[in-house]
Amino acid sequence: MKYVLYQLKRHPLAIIAILVILGWIFLAFAGPSLLSYTYTEMDSTFQMAPPGVNNHLLGTDALGRDILSRIIVGSRSILTVALFTSILSTILGIILGFSAGYFGKAFDTLFLRSMDILMSIPPLVLSMVVLGILGDSTIASLTLIVSIAFIPATARVSRGVLLSEKSQEYVQAARIRGESHVYIMFAEILPNTVGPIIVEATARFAYSIMMVASLGFLGVGLQPPTPDWGMMVIENRPIIADAPWTVLFPALAIASLVIAISIFSDFISKVLIHER
Amino acid sequence: MNSYLSTVFSKVGSLLATLLVISLIIFSLVELMPGDVAQMILGQSATEESLRELRQARGLNDPFFTRYGRWITGVLRGDLGDSIYMQGVPISSILWRKVGHSLFLALTAFIIFVPVSIVLGVIAGVKEKKAADSIISFTGLATMALPEFVSGVILISIFAVRLKWLPIVSVIPIGQTLFQNLDILILPALSITFVMFGYVSRMQRSSMIIVMNSDYIKAARLKGLPERYIIFRHALRNALLPTITIIGMNMGWLFGGLIVVETLFGFPGMGSLLMTAIKTRDVPLIEACVLLITVIFALSTMTTDLLYGYLNPRIRFKGGQR
Amino acid sequence: MKKIAVFLVVVLLFSSLLFAGGAAEQESTKKSLRVATQVPGLITMGIWDGQAFALNSSIYEYLIEIDANTGELVPVLATDWETEDGKTWVFNLREGVTFHDGSAFTAEDVKYTIERTQDPEIGHLKKNDFAAVEQVEIIDDYTIALHLEKALPTFIYLFTDYNMGILSSEYDYASKGEMYPMGTGPFILKEIIPKESAYLVKNESYWDPELPKVDELLLYFVGDIDASVSMLESGEVDVVPQISPIIKKRLDQQEGITVVSPYQENRFIALVQDREPFNDNRVRLAFKYAMDPQVIARSVAQMELNEGVFYNESFILNEQAEYLDIPFRGRDIEKAKELLSEAGYPDGLSVDLYYASDHPYGKELSQTIKELSADAGFELNLKGFTRDVYLSQHWLNVPMSITGWGARVDVSMLLSYAYHSEGPWNESHMNNPKVDELIDLIKAEVDYDTRLGYYHELQRIFFEEGTVINVQVPYLVALSDKVVDYRQPLTMLPQYKYTDIK
Repeated sequence: MKYVLYQLKRHPLAIIAILVILGWIFLAFAGPSLLSYTYTEMDSTFQMAPPGVNNHLLGTDALGRDILSRIIVGSRSILTVALFTSILSTILGIILGFSAGYFGKAFDTLFLRSMDILMSIPPLVLSMVVLGILGDSTIASLTLIVSIAFIPATARVSRGVLLSEKSQEYVQAARIRGESHVYIMFAEILPNTVGPIIVEATARFAYSIMMVASLGFLGVGLQPPTPDWGMMVIENRPIIADAPWTVLFPALAIASLVIAISIFSDFISKVLIHER
Repeated sequence: MNSYLSTVFSKVGSLLATLLVISLIIFSLVELMPGDVAQMILGQSATEESLRELRQARGLNDPFFTRYGRWITGVLRGDLGDSIYMQGVPISSILWRKVGHSLFLALTAFIIFVPVSIVLGVIAGVKEKKAADSIISFTGLATMALPEFVSGVILISIFAVRLKWLPIVSVIPIGQTLFQNLDILILPALSITFVMFGYVSRMQRSSMIIVMNSDYIKAARLKGLPERYIIFRHALRNALLPTITIIGMNMGWLFGGLIVVETLFGFPGMGSLLMTAIKTRDVPLIEACVLLITVIFALSTMTTDLLYGYLNPRIRFKGGQR
Repeated sequence: MKKIAVFLVVVLLFSSLLFAGGAAEQESTKKSLRVATQVPGLITMGIWDGQAFALNSSIYEYLIEIDANTGELVPVLATDWETEDGKTWVFNLREGVTFHDGSAFTAEDVKYTIERTQDPEIGHLKKNDFAAVEQVEIIDDYTIALHLEKALPTFIYLFTDYNMGILSSEYDYASKGEMYPMGTGPFILKEIIPKESAYLVKNESYWDPELPKVDELLLYFVGDIDASVSMLESGEVDVVPQISPIIKKRLDQQEGITVVSPYQENRFIALVQDREPFNDNRVRLAFKYAMDPQVIARSVAQMELNEGVFYNESFILNEQAEYLDIPFRGRDIEKAKELLSEAGYPDGLSVDLYYASDHPYGKELSQTIKELSADAGFELNLKGFTRDVYLSQHWLNVPMSITGWGARVDVSMLLSYAYHSEGPWNESHMNNPKVDELIDLIKAEVDYDTRLGYYHELQRIFFEEGTVINVQVPYLVALSDKVVDYRQPLTMLPQYKYTDIK
């Protein structure tokens, strides 16, 4: 813990990043109750109002909807999807990568082959085609599909860290004790490999935000009126000259969250990997 | 060298196997699509008899593997089938032109971001913790965090809407070719560059820092070799390897970026074609596009792998010499 | 390494600048009309696709067309026509017209086009309308008589429909229709790059030597309306159809660009009669009481009601002659809630609303009515799909939908499509014997005033127990000021042959 504080002192950027992330989480939880407008409410007298007018802190869009509320409500869906995606893809990655690395031989070969196959379709293309084909995306389907697209990356990392631990003495000892494979993998090895895995998971978090935003842009993301940051940028593109705030603020929201998470992930990797 | 060649062969072999499985996956994926192809062609008000006739005529009632076999043998012969909407129009006649455009766009982006990010990454790495480093590193972080469509929209509003230097839309005028309209490439290529620049320059920077602090560079310094010589002759070579890996790893992202950027700029490439195909549920066209993107992606990953393998032993050899 | 990089970047930038300059200098003396339009699906007419209008009316031609200014019938391939009882129609055809492949246009081709509507393999949209044709009689090469099974006084208007372009009886449209479409129209298709562009040139042997006014017609198929508008703003195209009101607002401030509205379109909000919850007329009424036309007009189009956006609860445009001005029932949330609880939904209800999210006004309208109806206890789940997917996979088969409908010159055409219980596009599953009867009466009635009476009665029924809310929005076309005489009548077909370029 002391070490973390020491590192924090050395990386003031990381403090800012953590504050930004906490800020977004706070807004996502508490934001809607603090707002004077709901995200779908249409203020038909103040369409495309600049920031500040009639209590619209960040202005309104062409339908007279409050940009701030839409961004905040949008943060809920994007954070949910990104969080669950990084968790799900990491868990699935650990299970697959660990079993492959642990059991080795034919199983490992099969694993590597199938990862090669899954990897050979770019993740965005894979998600876009599947979501586009199924249509009518929900938070659940979005999470599931983006997670699957991310599995090769997380599984490879997990397999790598497992291989580096596998020959350690404590693993041998556990084997001699006659522990079950599952116990060895998840109770013995996993706690010792948590560092790199968390680093990968936070990186996945940043990736999934970018991905979800891009899918929203391509029109295969969440359905309106659920606000989606990517969709907001593109929806308001025709009025960018008259009402730049309608595009600027959602773009800033995406950027601030992704930058903060990237810095945080860098920081985590420094802390966790040095600590060992 | 012989062992290197055999690696190449085995890579190609596994690539072919991968592609075969992928083609099966793509084909079954599209099968999942709700709705009926015949209905798609004829519309909701089609009569049951006309739907039946069409299904019969197009062999839509055949079992899954018969249809897959028909498709894949066609693909192997270079026949990608007909677009749903354009009977009698082979997909290959639509596709190749767009593939060429996309590859050219990717190449342009490549030519811009690879040297720029390597050079800036080297500068940042050499001037670690100085002003230049901070500026470059933060720019890298910021551009990396902007999805292509956001940076694209920003670029459009600056260079196309405000300054009017470059076209907003990347449309090729009728009767002209892409080569007569190279200016339409710049903004899309730059949008892709933005994201890639972040990844590549950061990687270059950190590997440069590691190399610059290594013993043999210190030794070279002691020998009194000029700094510039040390950086470009000794350090860069070693520091490039991780960068190549990261470029290879981000190829997938680059291809995704192509689709986003092509859609944003209306660029006539295979990304925007795939998007149109998905929007209109043009099944054969979706299949062809995804398969082709996979092939190109797999080929480029393989190339970076091979390049890495080709460079690696020599570097190790050199490293052993120090 | 560094040098090479810098060199490459410099070369790239320079070459692009060079090419950019070169392209701008290539001004030709040819007059060309450049249009950015939506990506067409099928070009050969008969099936639902409506995105190919620009090609339909340029490559093909119709027996008659509508004058875009007066709304009157104008002879094209038919020089005149007559009927005594509405049962037998005789057309005299224009002589000396040739198809683009050089073959002569005769009565045989008209016969082929009409009989093609009944071809079961095609699934032609005009199948039901032309089923009334008992016999097509070729009197000579340039005279044709149609014998109908019953009198249809407004039958003639069917020939203005976009699906009824005259095809050549000798041409193989099934295999060549998409790559090499061919008709008698004012423009000849030179080259088409699927999903990208089409290049058409003036038909030098067009029967009217004055037309077309331009030498070439260049169509860019651009899926994204923002991109199309950007092309207009940068001078790459001259015409962009189907823009949204928000874009209109922006373009209104720009010099050199005018936005025109050739006609109004319908957006039918279908409250489907045989599905929960709208199978109960009280629920339909409750929904109607929850609407606020003024708010709809402002949110959907940023316009005031009755200035660009119109609202009624029937099948007709407010501007059409047959319209009966029934005053709006007024927004009454209490009444709506009362009706809902009477119908057995005291706690409100939830229903899926399907719409085309990439069609102008679709997103805005769906979200606005969701907000409005929420006050009365409706919870609409928005199900937006791209237009192609919406139309081919969901439409006609869902409890509630929003669909864009072009109005028809002869209102009965639309009635028999959409509100007759046997209509092919009966999206609200309307099944009302009284409505069916009135539609049949309207189609057969020769006397205008009696017909008008039927129309009014029909609208009263729609007000009481109808299945539709009709929001009328302007069809907007953005034009550069170089464009002279842009014409597009209610048939939705742009008449590029009259258009000139300054």
